[in-house]
Amino acid sequence: MNLMLRQTGALAWRSVVTTIRIPQAWFPSLFFPLALLAIFTASFSNAPGRVPGFPPVRGFLDFAVAGSVLQGVLIAGTGAGSAFAADMETGFFDRLVASPVSRWAILIGRLGASVAQGIVQGLLFLGIAVAFGARVEGGLGGLLILVVFAALLAAAIGGIGVILALRTGSGEAVQGTFPLFFVLLFFSSAFFPRETMTGWYKAIADANPISHIVEGMRSQVIDGGDVRTTLVGLAFALGFAVLSVGISAITYRGRLATEGA
Amino acid sequence: MGSLRISLGLAGRNLLLVRRVPSVFIPSLVMPLFILVATSGAFRGIGALPDFAGASYLAFTVPMAATMGAGFAGVNSGMTLARDLEGGFFDRLQASPASRIALLAGPLLAAVARSLFTTTVVYIAAMLGGVRFPGPLDTVVVYALAAAFASVASLWAIGIALRTKSVQASPLMQVVVFMSVFMSVAYTPRSALRGWLSHVADWNPVTFILEGSRNAQLAGITWDRLGPALLAVGILIALTGTFALRGLRRLDRNP
Repeated sequence: MNLMLRQTGALAWRSVVTTIRIPQAWFPSLFFPLALLAIFTASFSNAPGRVPGFPPVRGFLDFAVAGSVLQGVLIAGTGAGSAFAADMETGFFDRLVASPVSRWAILIGRLGASVAQGIVQGLLFLGIAVAFGARVEGGLGGLLILVVFAALLAAAIGGIGVILALRTGSGEAVQGTFPLFFVLLFFSSAFFPRETMTGWYKAIADANPISHIVEGMRSQVIDGGDVRTTLVGLAFALGFAVLSVGISAITYRGRLATEGA
Repeated sequence: MGSLRISLGLAGRNLLLVRRVPSVFIPSLVMPLFILVATSGAFRGIGALPDFAGASYLAFTVPMAATMGAGFAGVNSGMTLARDLEGGFFDRLQASPASRIALLAGPLLAAVARSLFTTTVVYIAAMLGGVRFPGPLDTVVVYALAAAFASVASLWAIGIALRTKSVQASPLMQVVVFMSVFMSVAYTPRSALRGWLSHVADWNPVTFILEGSRNAQLAGITWDRLGPALLAVGILIALTGTFALRGLRRLDRNP
């Protein structure tokens, strides 16, 4: 057990170092969400207090930061899946499987790296937002809950990336799913409140789990963490993570069985 | 006449590739639609601000979606050229007696043609959402400004392709074009912008192109909006055209 933990840690660390060494792997997950956060904040700063239905917030930056953390985790998670696919393309995965390394350490190490990146990125985004005037009303408790959200989401997206990598073996195919996440994000309340939407668009945003997750995160920033909103958000994030990691584990086991490992 | 035929031939080849390759064709169709629907659906509430003067946010978004779709069309023509450079097809064109301008005009014409298609897609979707076509001349202005932006994006992407000779440079082509639109009046009029973006938008030429197009779409063309838009187009085409031509000369010197 101790050996497996050490192997998991070593493989997770390798994934983290590989990501740090390749700017293409981490730059988009930092640049795009932060750029959109800055652009949306400057474009919509008049909305709070003036747009009917907009929740009471100190400023648009406070409202938008949760959506940006979510967006960053989504991009980073897709990158983690691509990295796993790259390991398969280059043959590193086969060499790992052929070595005496614990089979589960390979999967858990990859997902662990994804979670670590999600947490670091979430904290970095919050730090930058606070430096530009945002305030986490939930204090330290709210911050910890946000970290839990980021970790669950990173595990969930990382899990999807692993499933796709195992099924396709292609980094390009995993990256190709990114627009789908982006669509999910836009058809939710990640960037603007559901209360201001109408018609079929609002119906989709209401049904979109991303809306409930981001609202749970946002609640920590804007109103100190409404209990119901937080619990609903956490339930969706946890369900998403359990489902995704569970399916990735089943797919992984199936792959190993096929290879006779 | 020979140069024109070569340009048209290259443009036709570029367009044929779009039609035959679903991975190129589908994003051309989906991207402007997504921008129109997602932007107007998600941010509809902001249209309640007095800065919008009662205009529907969907109608307000049409010029931005048309411009973004055109930008995407322009970038794709640069990506096609990068593929031709990687595959060696462009080497054969360079070795031919075709004029240098004709080699650039081909992908440029293809970008303009594709922008007409993407703008039409945006208009059809907007009309289904209840937006009415503006007057005939106003509609021509919306199409023409989108086509002009497609040319700018295409020349920029061609310049990058000629320097890098690789499709790997596609993100650089895309990011600059899309950020130039986002850092303008993409989501709200200038009067509603605050902080750094209001200063950047004041100097961003894309602001004037969008304002010209929006003016035609929402109120009918006036020279105080169309004039700066045409000037911005002229400046951007001169800059990106020089960038692309220099890239071609550099390639001629160091094939």
